[in-house]
Amino acid sequence: MRKVLVGALAALLLAGCGGSGGGAADGDLTSDKIELRFTWWGSDARHQRTQQVIDLWQKDHPNITVKGEFKEWNGYWDSLATTVAANDAPDVIQMDELYLASYAERGALLDLGTAGKNLAITDFDAKALATGAIDGKQYGLPTGVTTYSLIANTDLLAKYNVTLPDDATWTWDDLKSVGDRISKASGGEVTGLQSWGFDIGGVNIWARQNGASLYAPDGKVAIPADILAKYWQYLLDISKQGIAPPASVSVERAGAGLDQSGTATNKSAIGTWWNSQLTSLAKASGQNLKLLRIPGEGTATGAYYKPSMFWSISSRSKHPAEAAAFVNFLANSQEAADIMLTDRGIPANTKIRAALTGKLEGTDKAAAEFLDSVKVGEAPRVTPNGASDVEAILKRHTESVLFERETPQQAAEAFISELQAGIDAA
Amino acid sequence: MSAIGELQRLNTSTGGPPRKRDTKAALLFLLPWFAGILLITAGPVAASFVLGFTDYNLIQPPEFNGLENIQRMLTDERLHHSLGVTFTYVFVSVPLQLAAALGLAMLLDRGMRGLPFYRSAFYLPSLLGSSVAIAVLWRQIFGAEGLINQMLGFFGIEGTGWISDPDTALSTLIVLNVWTFGAPMVIFLAGLRQIPVMYYEAAQIDGAGRWTQFRRITVPLLSPIIFFNLVLQIIHAFQSFTQAFVVSGGTGGPSDSTMFYTLYLYQRGFHSFDMGYASALAWLLLLIIAAFTAVNFWAAKRWVFYDD
Repeated sequence: MRKVLVGALAALLLAGCGGSGGGAADGDLTSDKIELRFTWWGSDARHQRTQQVIDLWQKDHPNITVKGEFKEWNGYWDSLATTVAANDAPDVIQMDELYLASYAERGALLDLGTAGKNLAITDFDAKALATGAIDGKQYGLPTGVTTYSLIANTDLLAKYNVTLPDDATWTWDDLKSVGDRISKASGGEVTGLQSWGFDIGGVNIWARQNGASLYAPDGKVAIPADILAKYWQYLLDISKQGIAPPASVSVERAGAGLDQSGTATNKSAIGTWWNSQLTSLAKASGQNLKLLRIPGEGTATGAYYKPSMFWSISSRSKHPAEAAAFVNFLANSQEAADIMLTDRGIPANTKIRAALTGKLEGTDKAAAEFLDSVKVGEAPRVTPNGASDVEAILKRHTESVLFERETPQQAAEAFISELQAGIDAA
Repeated sequence: MSAIGELQRLNTSTGGPPRKRDTKAALLFLLPWFAGILLITAGPVAASFVLGFTDYNLIQPPEFNGLENIQRMLTDERLHHSLGVTFTYVFVSVPLQLAAALGLAMLLDRGMRGLPFYRSAFYLPSLLGSSVAIAVLWRQIFGAEGLINQMLGFFGIEGTGWISDPDTALSTLIVLNVWTFGAPMVIFLAGLRQIPVMYYEAAQIDGAGRWTQFRRITVPLLSPIIFFNLVLQIIHAFQSFTQAFVVSGGTGGPSDSTMFYTLYLYQRGFHSFDMGYASALAWLLLLIIAAFTAVNFWAAKRWVFYDD
């Protein structure tokens, strides 16, 4: 009886999933009037640029309406999980490295290799392409690459008369003392640093500089607890010493999104960001921002190129061929690239990248030049299936550490065992 | 004591149509509700019961896993923590909310001028309280640079970020729930109106003070209403979700301090792709609420006074 019930339920849930109504991904484009849904997360600057790209594509495809659904990062993943579960996923999905395996290994994404003539991937750098492939199937096409960096507000540095050491050789202690001088010089008006225990990039860098990595190649959690504990100790120190804002302010800002961060509101002079976020931040801040290399890179390389995000297509899309054609435009069209510039990372498409480099100006140019100047190691393993909520776990323990409800050591041990449990259960 | 019963009998018997027609009319009026619950609620409820015995990641078909989800509940520390947060919320906010509701209802019952205005003004928060807009407003008011801290600033007191501090975050949600006392207040007000003035007059002549009048007349005669409000508000509080979701940005943070049971359930289901376990959690919540309601009804025999 139970089996029958479960079976019936499964049939109910999957009813309609098999719909092959739109044909194959490599089929001819329809001339019927259809609608494609396209979803992405990001800042206001990205929404405007993306809408321009959509308008451009629709000029050539008047029968296909592309409906943009954009959200802020936090709400994006709730919404995507719900729509995928309801068999109502958008056709074209902006995907992140954290979630790629979780969606792909469960069959929610289309193998882009099956799109044939509709989607060319020949101009992509092979290493970059590999970051979007799992078991030989291309589930995501990397939009671009990005690297972890510090972004400093040079107007604030000048105002408080603080000069920076050489960022090729500086240490974490140097960063601390620079931050301290800014905090003191401003008399509490701004803080030197912005706390960064809320994204996984910082943990990856810290682990790699210490000769470890967050995950082992087989997908198990590999970071030793004492290394992770030192990471949290550093964050706790700068928060308690007034170099970074007090715990409650850091927590509040971390939950509020890019436009309300300390960097964007000019309340913290230096923060950690992905270098591709420079343009969005500069737009929000209105002041002069500069990219700096992560401290500690002079002695051990922690930096890496992260695929900033991917283009993916829902495996249940009713219009896979048209969706593939649209992704082809996003990934291979020079016109589209000229609008989006470096907002989704420095393009991973080598032709586009070469053509773009000369055209970039201002912050986009600075972001591209910075990427080339950074010495990087091998990219870390893709986030394993079952670990997509790693940042939520990280954030919770950072909060507990900053409010001194957990010692860094306790937080490190709990983080590791929780993360491993999630991976084991998937 | 039978004055109220007498009144009720009078009210219902004047020009009363035959009982049968009453039943028919009632069923007719209930029809939309029945249709709704059968078509929209019952299906998912039944499905979630079955899913509670499966491993279901939202994307692939569920797999039957017996009692594994129930075993997990026993050792799931974050679940136990979320139960603690929810119980604190229910048992602190509901009594405070009902006390505020009763207090204001008694004030308004004195027949002051502009009563309809005050009644509406106090009722308004109940309509808005569980909305997203108010939760967003709450974030602003209790934020590090919010209204509360600006007011405290006038007195030279430096406040914390009330919502981003794990020591105070839950309190702000409790305040939010207490603030929505309007719905029970309106019901109390109606109940107070039913108590004949002559009891109070007689008590006054006998020399009873305000407190004695409240204890000996108001509370016993109002006890069915108090009971009704208590049951309703407890169930309501157990199910709170929107406030914590919006105020904490969906995380239940900081440090899980606002991790309501419903929010944990939601996170398991939609963030961790763990819908089988989340479905089992939903049924546990149903059982908890049912148990509390049953205890409430059992205890009611001892203190609720039905006048008939």
